[in-house]
Amino acid sequence: MKELSLFDKVKKDWMRNKSLYIMVLPVLIFFILFHYKPMYGAIIAFKDYTPALGIAESPWVGLENFSRFFSSVYFGRLIRNTILLSVYSLIFGFPAPIILALLLNEVRSKKFKGLTQTVTYLPHFISMIVVTGMLVDFSMTSGLFNDIIELFGGERSPLLQNPDLYRTIYVASGIWQEAGWGSIIYLSALSGVDSQLYEAAQIDGAGKWKQLLNVTLPGIMPTIVIMFILKMGTLMNMGYEKTILLYNPATYETADIISSYIYRIGLLDQDWSYSTAIGLFNSVINFALLLITNKLARKCGETSLW
Amino acid sequence: MKHRKTALLFTMAMTFALAGCGQKAGQEQTTAATSAAEGEQQTQTAGEFSYPMQAGDALTYWCELQGTVSPNFSNLGETPFAKAWMQETGVTIEFMHPPTGQIKEQFSLILADGNLPDMMEYSWVKDYPGGPEKAIKDGVILPLNDVFEQYCPNITAYLKEHPEVDKMIKTDDGHYYVFPFIRGDEKLCNTIGLMLRQDWLEELNLEVPETIEEWHTVLTAFKNEKGVAAPYCPEWTRDDFKDNDPFAYAFNTCRGFYIDDNGQVKFGAIEENYKNYLELMKQWYEEGLIDPDMATLKFDQVSAKMTNGSAGASMGFAGSRMGAWITAAQGNEPDYMLVAAPYPTLEKGAKPEFGQMDNQYPGTASVAITSSCKDVERAARLLDYAYGEEGHMLFNFGVEGESYEMKEDYPTYTDWVMTNPDGWPVSQAMSAYIRGNYNGPFVQDLRYLEQYYTIDQQKETPDVWGNSNAKSHKMPPVTPTSEESKEYSTIMNEINTYRDEMVLKFIFGTESLDNFDTYVKNIENMGLQRALEIQSSALERYNAR
Amino acid sequence: MKSLKVKRSRGERIFTVFNYIFLSLIMLLCLYPVWYVVAASFSNSNMLTQHTGLLLKPVGWSTDAYSKVFRNPMIVRGYFNTLFVLVVGVTLDIIMTALGAYFLSRRRVLFKKPIMILIMFTMFFSGGMIPFYLNLKDLQLRDSLWGLILPFMISTYNLVILKTSFESIPESLIEAAQIDGAGHVTILSQVVLPLSKAILAVMVLYYGVAIWNSWFWASAIIRTRELYPLQVILREILMQNDVTSMTTGVGTMDQESVAMTIKYATIVVATVPILCVYPFLQKHFAKGTIAGAVKE
Repeated sequence: MKELSLFDKVKKDWMRNKSLYIMVLPVLIFFILFHYKPMYGAIIAFKDYTPALGIAESPWVGLENFSRFFSSVYFGRLIRNTILLSVYSLIFGFPAPIILALLLNEVRSKKFKGLTQTVTYLPHFISMIVVTGMLVDFSMTSGLFNDIIELFGGERSPLLQNPDLYRTIYVASGIWQEAGWGSIIYLSALSGVDSQLYEAAQIDGAGKWKQLLNVTLPGIMPTIVIMFILKMGTLMNMGYEKTILLYNPATYETADIISSYIYRIGLLDQDWSYSTAIGLFNSVINFALLLITNKLARKCGETSLW
Repeated sequence: MKHRKTALLFTMAMTFALAGCGQKAGQEQTTAATSAAEGEQQTQTAGEFSYPMQAGDALTYWCELQGTVSPNFSNLGETPFAKAWMQETGVTIEFMHPPTGQIKEQFSLILADGNLPDMMEYSWVKDYPGGPEKAIKDGVILPLNDVFEQYCPNITAYLKEHPEVDKMIKTDDGHYYVFPFIRGDEKLCNTIGLMLRQDWLEELNLEVPETIEEWHTVLTAFKNEKGVAAPYCPEWTRDDFKDNDPFAYAFNTCRGFYIDDNGQVKFGAIEENYKNYLELMKQWYEEGLIDPDMATLKFDQVSAKMTNGSAGASMGFAGSRMGAWITAAQGNEPDYMLVAAPYPTLEKGAKPEFGQMDNQYPGTASVAITSSCKDVERAARLLDYAYGEEGHMLFNFGVEGESYEMKEDYPTYTDWVMTNPDGWPVSQAMSAYIRGNYNGPFVQDLRYLEQYYTIDQQKETPDVWGNSNAKSHKMPPVTPTSEESKEYSTIMNEINTYRDEMVLKFIFGTESLDNFDTYVKNIENMGLQRALEIQSSALERYNAR
Repeated sequence: MKSLKVKRSRGERIFTVFNYIFLSLIMLLCLYPVWYVVAASFSNSNMLTQHTGLLLKPVGWSTDAYSKVFRNPMIVRGYFNTLFVLVVGVTLDIIMTALGAYFLSRRRVLFKKPIMILIMFTMFFSGGMIPFYLNLKDLQLRDSLWGLILPFMISTYNLVILKTSFESIPESLIEAAQIDGAGHVTILSQVVLPLSKAILAVMVLYYGVAIWNSWFWASAIIRTRELYPLQVILREILMQNDVTSMTTGVGTMDQESVAMTIKYATIVVATVPILCVYPFLQKHFAKGTIAGAVKE
């Protein structure tokens, strides 16, 4: 069989899928306009950006902004905090919705199931501003958390002033807010698992646990893997919103992360180029993590992003 | 694999294609700047001028919307104050406001895009990295020397009469850069101080404390006799309160830069005195005399504690703290009363060496004309109006017959302001008609304060808090040169973050004060010496103005 | 089906009991803070600040806080702005995401992979906050509600989810439609979308909640206060203690004491509407996804 030349291939593809390409055009325009164009703007990381001169005319400074970050006294701490916080979020936060979905899946009463779903989704609807506001209130010496600690014989203390507790509060509140919501995806994946498989397993005399291991988990594994890869790629993207609303100087030691640092430098100190450089560094790490995870996933199983 | 390469090429091509677009944007900005400069040249001789001006284009004005305005007006332009201002000057103003608490963020983004409103009200000397001279060099704002001379007879006259203010509002290079907010009387400069429960003091037979020791006695008594959980409850999240910590002042030091007896610039937070202060705080914290949550307390929590009896002493302003708490708490507890305490000392009877005192030009809420301004003359005349006779009355007292009346030559606020029929608090009612009760580009009048403070204990505050040699230790509004500014801000960012963190750790006892020397060494390694040099030479230049 | 009902073992029964208890506890955990906020908002402020321990019902009934909140002229305006962004935004978001997902779910398309990579790349690599903002300025989207809609039309994350779901639609259905002479637009709107109601409901919620709760970019790009969405106003009130200035006054007695409850009332006012939407969409979730409904 003769290989088609590239041109012929393209031509044939165009003839066949013309309307598809037209449909995707607005989507491409969107990505170019709102994602790739700002990437061009990221060259200010290598410049001393001065608004009056504009992006193109601002003078080049090479890697100065990067070396400044690497030599900053806070460099090590920022990296460590970012990684630890995201790894903890991943270890504890990633399985939570899966477990919740599995538990919900075992509930027979439709009413109870619906109620639990509704209620566990609730925290997601509460905005970050409100959630952090409540956390700060509850963590006060006179706050709700301390009421509970005292109830169990503990001693009252200002929880959000304790750097050792910061990550726990951050991660736990994240799970509280997102576990229910995150379970939606897994629940719909679960409902897609072929019920004949269960019937077959039951006939074989498999107990619940066996069914879970042999039918349920394999059934939703592709979803889990995809979600995991997506999470890994955004591992370093710990948002600054929650952090800047939650930390204070007493907890900087464990709380200050790359994105909150970028926020302070770029927006409060108007060092646009420097903050963009740090952001770029962050993106590169993200991307590397993604590639690694995807490769691993492909090696271990069928599923991968591409 | 092949596919991935194609994608990469595609991406790269895209990047280059887009590079072209950015260039064009840059050029547009330059054109905007030139047209602003041209606007400057249409001159009108000052002599024939009178308000209101002829109708012209609307001017844009960016400023923070005060919290006392926002509950009743969604825009400063809707207030009777702004309407009167526009009518008197004949200029239509379009006001733009950042969300409360996002001022710095939005300011930063506005600057980043280079397309500025005509006028911007901001704390240029403190919050523009590198200071006003840098803002001029960056092409953000216009130097105002020629503008003052040509269009601004009022402010020029004021500055001639007040050379000490004139010195403050210039850069080292002699450029004027803003229409400043000026406190028209020294009494208006003492705004922050300590306050505590007078009714409890009387009940416990205690005097208003003057020394650290007396404070210890009083706070301990509050704790033991009154069962107060957190006797001293400062609003530690506010920078201006931390800068002016009365208990650090008692040790003749503070957390930032100050001028010592020999006129040298010093950084307080690394001194032996500061260590002594930290030791005291640590001890008080251990003894439960200071609110355990102090690092997270915000105003609403402090207010709640101060008014419901879970705290007995705090620091803050005489109006929005002291007065507000007294009136609020007396609703439930008629005997409730707060009294101002002087800046504490170590020895009884000594005059406090340090204390809080604003510069007459505090640097806040001052209006610069930006390089994008469409009509510099109109903007200048609009702003200059506030420094003249009529403008002064409008900004401080509002509209005659509506918000004030002249009684024996004394502008007296009307009942509409003082006891508002719609139940608005005085501060809100005032904010509808004046800017005198907060800030802005004008000269603040003491007669406003005389009426705003209604309770005797409030009226005492300027004298009680003002009794110190604060003036000789206060850093004037100096600025580094634009070359040094980046270096300075990098150093100080690192130092300040580290200091704030360590100070709390020392107080909470999570870091032993034995490590104070390491802390000092770390700060020195971050480049403190260089920062001090920059500050010293800035002070020299300032003194030489 | 009934015939298959197997006797449950003891272990299973114990598990079931624990499962119910555990899930009930979780519900309590999710519900209580919300209840706390509601109860606090209807409380008497002074009594609230002195209250310690668990708050089970409002202490001292009062609706003062709500009348204060609704007196603020910004709140109503904020509602309308958010509603506009929500309706227009979600509509555009869904259309765009569906177009993208449909394209990516088709087989035998030459440039699918490069386009997929082009899209995925953006999820992990971004220009950063400042370049993003400068781009908005170039596109004249500052100080306009469109600036809150257009740049956020497609969330790559949602796109991937929708694409995965579209892929699970049996190819035979689509081929059948093609044989009937249907074009891609018709297939998407007549075949694919109707079969994806459940996942679309999820998308509507994903996008809707994100829009409802977003505040950062609004507070960054909007300079005309009349255009503020609700969350920006909420943040003003919550984070910056604007309550205080809302009520700080010398002279009027009860002003200050409402402050604490205003905070909670504002939270309720800003959260309830989005909660009301949820039950309408929930019935779609219950049906599960297409994968379970259609079997080849």
